[in-house]
Parts: sequence; C-alpha cells; structure tokens
Amino acid sequence: MQTYDIYLVGVGGQGVLTIADLITRTAFRKGIPVNYYPTKGMAQRGGFVKVQLRLGSSEVGPDISEGGADLVISMERSEALKAVRFLKTGGEFLLYDHRWNPAAVMLGKAPYPDLATVWDEIAAVGGKVYALSDKDLPAYEGRPVRDNIYVLGSVLAQTKITDILPLKDMEETIAARWPKVTAVNAFTLEAGEKAPLLAHP
Amino acid sequence: MEKMLLSGNEAVAYGALAAGVKTVAGYPGTPSTEMIESLLKMDLPGTNVEWSTNEKVAFEVAAGGALLGYPTMCTMKMTGVNVAYDSLISIAYSGCTGALVIYVVDDPGVSAGMAEQDTRGFALISDLPVLEPSTLQEAYDMTKYAFKLAKAIQGPVFLRSVTSLSQSHGVVEVEPRVLPETGHPLMERNMDKYTKAGAKICMDQHQDLLNRLTKAGEIIAADGINQLHLGAADGAGVIAVGVANAYLKEACQKLAAAGVDVSQLSTLALHNTLPYDDGDIEKLLQHCSRILVAEELEPFTENRVILDAYKLGKKVEILGKNDGTYARINYYNAETLIKGLCKLLAVPVPESLAKRDIQPEAHCAARPITVCAGCPHRGTYIAMEKAIKKLGLKKSDVFITGDIGCTILGTTPPFEVLWTEVAMGASIPLAQGVVYAGTEHPVLASIGDSTFFHAGMPGLVNALQHNINLTLVIMDNYWTAMTGMQINANTMQSEQIHGWHALDLEQVLKGLGVPDLKLADPYDTEDMAAKLADSMQYEGVSVVLARRECAIQARRRKVTYTPVKLIAEKCVKCKRCITISGCPALQFEDGVMKLDPTQCNGCGICTDLCKPGALVKEG
Repeated sequence: MQTYDIYLVGVGGQGVLTIADLITRTAFRKGIPVNYYPTKGMAQRGGFVKVQLRLGSSEVGPDISEGGADLVISMERSEALKAVRFLKTGGEFLLYDHRWNPAAVMLGKAPYPDLATVWDEIAAVGGKVYALSDKDLPAYEGRPVRDNIYVLGSVLAQTKITDILPLKDMEETIAARWPKVTAVNAFTLEAGEKAPLLAHP
Repeated sequence: MEKMLLSGNEAVAYGALAAGVKTVAGYPGTPSTEMIESLLKMDLPGTNVEWSTNEKVAFEVAAGGALLGYPTMCTMKMTGVNVAYDSLISIAYSGCTGALVIYVVDDPGVSAGMAEQDTRGFALISDLPVLEPSTLQEAYDMTKYAFKLAKAIQGPVFLRSVTSLSQSHGVVEVEPRVLPETGHPLMERNMDKYTKAGAKICMDQHQDLLNRLTKAGEIIAADGINQLHLGAADGAGVIAVGVANAYLKEACQKLAAAGVDVSQLSTLALHNTLPYDDGDIEKLLQHCSRILVAEELEPFTENRVILDAYKLGKKVEILGKNDGTYARINYYNAETLIKGLCKLLAVPVPESLAKRDIQPEAHCAARPITVCAGCPHRGTYIAMEKAIKKLGLKKSDVFITGDIGCTILGTTPPFEVLWTEVAMGASIPLAQGVVYAGTEHPVLASIGDSTFFHAGMPGLVNALQHNINLTLVIMDNYWTAMTGMQINANTMQSEQIHGWHALDLEQVLKGLGVPDLKLADPYDTEDMAAKLADSMQYEGVSVVLARRECAIQARRRKVTYTPVKLIAEKCVKCKRCITISGCPALQFEDGVMKLDPTQCNGCGICTDLCKPGALVKEG
C-alpha cells in the first residue's frame, strides 16, 4: 500500500487533534493502517500542538523525518513555520491563515511573521501552498462554523489525500461522531471544499 | 481477536487484562498516564486499579499482590522509577511468586519536561529483564509476554516504552480479558526471601537474582523474542533496539528507493535489552566487520557489543554513541537511521534524503505557555508578587522554591516568581537548605496538593521538627491537574470513585501541628497577599493553604462564577491586565482590548488589576 504522511500543527484549542482524529477514524474504518501521534506539550489552550499521522504502513515509527511529510496542515500562521522543515520537497501545504497572538506580540514586545514570509519559506522547499483566510469562515444560523471542519473540507478538496480518503468517507465519519449536528457539519465541510484560496500577497 | 484503535498506553492496559492482572497501581505522569486512566474507565470486577499516593506506594501495592502469587502491575513515568526504586530493588532481590510487571515510559526528546533519563540504567543495577516493544501491536503482545516471563523467573520484569510509542494510536488486535484468579492466595512466610536479615540472606538473594536474570535470557532466547538476520559475510550489520527497529525498516526502504544497496545488511532486532542477548550479538560480531548500534538515549547495548567484541578477540568497527555517530540525547526517526546507515556503508547520504539548509523557525513567534484562563493559582502568583512588594522587597530578594506539576508555570512570564523545579516534594527541604544558607529575607516554598501528598509531607515534617523559618504555599486545586485531572487523596469526596475516601488537607496540616496555618482564596489576591505577607514575617514554619478548584475541572463540573464584563469606553489601554495576569482570555488586537467569553470563567482576578474599572463583574 502507498504510504502517506501528514504533519499537523496549530495552537491548543483550535481543534488540530480533532482533524487528526477524524482522519484516523476514517482510515480505521477503511482498513488503512494508521499511526496517530499527538504531541500536546502541556495540553493547554494556547500552547503549540502537533500531530504526526502516518497512513499506509502498519509497522511504522511514530515520528516523521524532516522532509518526509506528503502533506502539512497548519491551523495558525506562525506555527506553520515549525512544520515547514517536515514537508517533503514538492509536498502540499494547507495553511489556514489565522493569527493567534502570543502575549508578547499583543503587547508589542515581539514580532509576528507576515503571510508572505511564511509562504516564501514553504515555497523555498518546493511546497505547493493552499492558503485559506480566516475572514472567509462562513456563519451558520448566525454563528461562525468550526474552523477545523472547514479546513478539513478544503484539505479534502485540494490535496492528494483524497486518493486515499475520499470526501464521502469523511462525511460519514463526521456524521457518526456528531450525530446531533450533522447539518451544520455538512454545511461546514462543503464550505471548506469550496473555500476560496488566497494568492501570494 | 478484536481489532481496536488504541494508544500504546491502552494497548498495555489491554495486554495486562488479557494476562489476568489482579492489581494495577501507579502515579500519573506524562507519557504513561493513559494506561491506568483507560482501566479506571472500565468496569473490572476482580481487578484492583488505583492511582496511588506516589510511585513507591504504587510499586509496593503491586508487589504485595505478587508476593501472594498473583499477576500485578505498576506504572509510572521515567522519573517515577527514582521514587519507587528503594522498594523496587529490594523486591528484585527477594523475587516474588506472582508475575510483577513494572511499566515505565521513557521520554527521549523530552516532550514532558523532566530529566531525559533511561530506565534501563535502573534495570542494570537491579538485574531485572527489560522488554522493549517497537510497535503498538508489540506493546500489547509484549505486555502479555512480560507477565509470562515474570512468572517463569519468579521475579519482576520491566516493560519499557517511550513517549512516541505510548502516545501513538493505531490498530491493535486484542483478546478478551482473562478474569483474575480468586481464592487460594499463597501465604508464603519466608524470612530468607522476604527480609534482608543478615549477610547470608542478602548474598543468597543476590545470587538468586543473578540466576533469575540468566534464566530470563534463556527463556527469551528460546522464545525467539529477538530476530537475527545474517546478510553478506564480513559485511555491515545493524543492531536496533525497540522503536529504532521501525525506523530501520523505513530508512532501508528510503535508501533502497534512492539507489543505495541495503540488501546485504545483517540485522539484529532487539526487543529486550536486558539480559543482554550475548548469543545473538556474538553471532553478529563473528559475521560482520562493521556494526551500527541504534538505540535511543544511553549506549547500554552498544557498550555491551564493544565488550563482547573484546571478549571474542574480534576486530569489529562499532558505530554508535562512543564514536560520535549518534548523540545520547533526543529521539530517533528514519533520518537518524539513514545517517547511521550511510556512514556504516561508507556512502554519501543521497541528495534526495539529505538535510536541507533551511531555518523557517527563525521567523516564528515564541509561544510560551502560562496557566489556563481562570486558573486559581494565577491569583497565587500575583499574591506572591504583591506580598513581596508589601514587605518592601523585590522579587530578586525572595527565594521561592517551586515543585512539580502545574505549579512550575510560576517560573515563566508573566510571573517569574519561582526559582527552582527539582523533583516531587523537593520544594520544602530545598527551602530549608536556603534558610540554613542564611539569606536575609523570607524564604518560601510552593507545592501543589497532589505533589504535597506524593512526597511533600516528609519535607514539611522535617521543617516542623527543626523549627525552620519558612513559609509554605500549598497551591491546592483538588486535582492532579498537569497530567490531565486525575483523582488524588485531596480530591473532593463527591468525585472519588470505587468507594475511595477524600482526605482533608487542612485537617492534615492541623494534625501536623503547623504553628501558623492560614487558608486563603487565591481569587481574592489582595486578601491572600495580606495573609502571605503576614506569614512571611512569622518566625517558624508558616503554611498558607491557597484553595480553589482547577478552572478546567470546575467548568466540567458546572461550577459557575459571575462573568467578567469589559466596558470598552472605560479601557485606557494600559494593558496592565495582560502584563500582570497573562490571562489567555484577555487579548489586545488591532489597538483594542478584547475579552474572550468562551475562555473567561469569571475568576475576576483581572478586575482587581484594572484601575479605570473597565473590567468588572457583571451584576
């Protein structure tokens, strides 16, 4: 079976673990070998979170090598920079351009990278960038939808992960996990599929 | 057999159930916590599962069952072995009739912020076998095997995992639980075995221990736990231990794809390090002229390979940590193996697998962590700062020892009031030492509730007996929080399970005869600061018990506080609330203060800091 490695990063509270969990459950249901390895740091809201997902091989070490990930998913602009090193040369990088400012940045005591800087670092390793703006996140019945499901919709629409995990299977996983809110989740996933991509600034 | 999606820790739990485990005891510690946590969620009549007061207690509880002939297990993180070791080595020498398995998770790469120590060093000193699974399925299978081996040798066995394996989730095939045996406990009163009364008894036990280790080696060899594959004669060989085996496979696939011939490699896949597999190591040494040893952390196996080569009188070049091929720190991945294999084969790392010269992290915003929104002990740290100020002192005047757990967040911005993070319970005796050293100003120690019961009490008893002039702040939040909210002796009675009893920390302190004991609510920083300043001036042992439930747990339990409101027009953008509290619910974006109502729990600490009254309690 073809192997496929995914490196996910973001900030605790953004639902990074949930994206990885949904991919893992979908792979499990389809009988695709999967290893899901979260690193939560001190498990807090606001801290750096990463997950390494390795699909397609049952006897696999949990850690992805530098330059080994077929796909990177980042839920936060600055944290994306911690994942660039792990992207395969020429791999795909889905960036949700959301700012989660650390306190020092809020107080004007530390710099925060602009989108072009992050984009250029990804491009420097030959990465194909798919960038979404958090400003395009739609509302459902007046409330903003969950951005992690939105991002997942875009991942499934844009990247080669669909060769292994078709959108339909993901829809089933999500519906089974949250049976009471299928309508909003279906709406969010579909909005993600159709999410506009940003151009290099 | 059922296929389940399990973590490494859960796989070990299911393995223990399939081995008919009678008792499982442990102390929470990342990366090992989920093993007991998963068992506590199950209904397991006939099996005793508990969070013990500390790792030594957990080991002793497990050992007691094994003395009576039953399969038992204890679990801890790597630094927990330091705590358990006194009894562990004694029982290692005594042996036990039931299977006693010690599950420890080491943390190469330090994801959990403790000493990057290698448990195998402890196993070497206590002459105990060590099993090292390399995959999730092996974590399950080898747990079962550990019980079998322990029973066969009549002594404890270490099951050693690492963070990456224990925290990974994947598909594991598990068998149904085997119900623990009941009745007919073995009442063996054997002074020669279970006491250390006299030199003869002790030396006989030492010899018996060595015999058990030899026997373990014979059983492991007979069961084919390690796999030797011989490739080209006089060629290159690799010895990989535990998870390094999975990375060896991946590295070989990548190298082969990049045109490097790895087909002639000899390999020895080790799933146990101790006793050393001298038989297979010698065969490999006889067969190869160059050998790479890949094991995370300390070069225990590698050093043995060098010794075995010396004993054989065979000149073999050995690559590993002694020659600088590998470092003794950090975790491995396929890249680590690729680097070692290329050096072993004397070929350059293929262009497609070579490290790229990039530094993307250089642009990354630092993201230090702090206590959660609503954490009561944000108030404790602020009160400490206020009390220091009240006494006309500076933070640099007042030595405050820290302990282990969430309390370490007092070492980092914005508080930076704690000076040390050493070991469970170390804060109080360290503070006593600081007092003895003769500082001019008050000395404080700070510790959490679970840590206080774990190893803090002996230090307090010592300070009380010797009438030391120090102030202890117990940062009570009712839970073992940092590891994910486990129940401890101090957790409220309504949250205790399985008929467990809550101990009242205040009564314990009163019972110890603490001469100056004050209760404080850390949400009331002004009141707590006044009490603390008073205690700091007390001559003798003073204790401030700062009590308030962990905000995360309080929210889960539907404890609610009056929400905080931000009156935008009153905000003067001084940002004092953020600079002093560091509360993640407070944000300053695009020149405007914001209060995130999904994070704010209404603790109200920020309302005390806001001079213009822009942050107020609603209603």
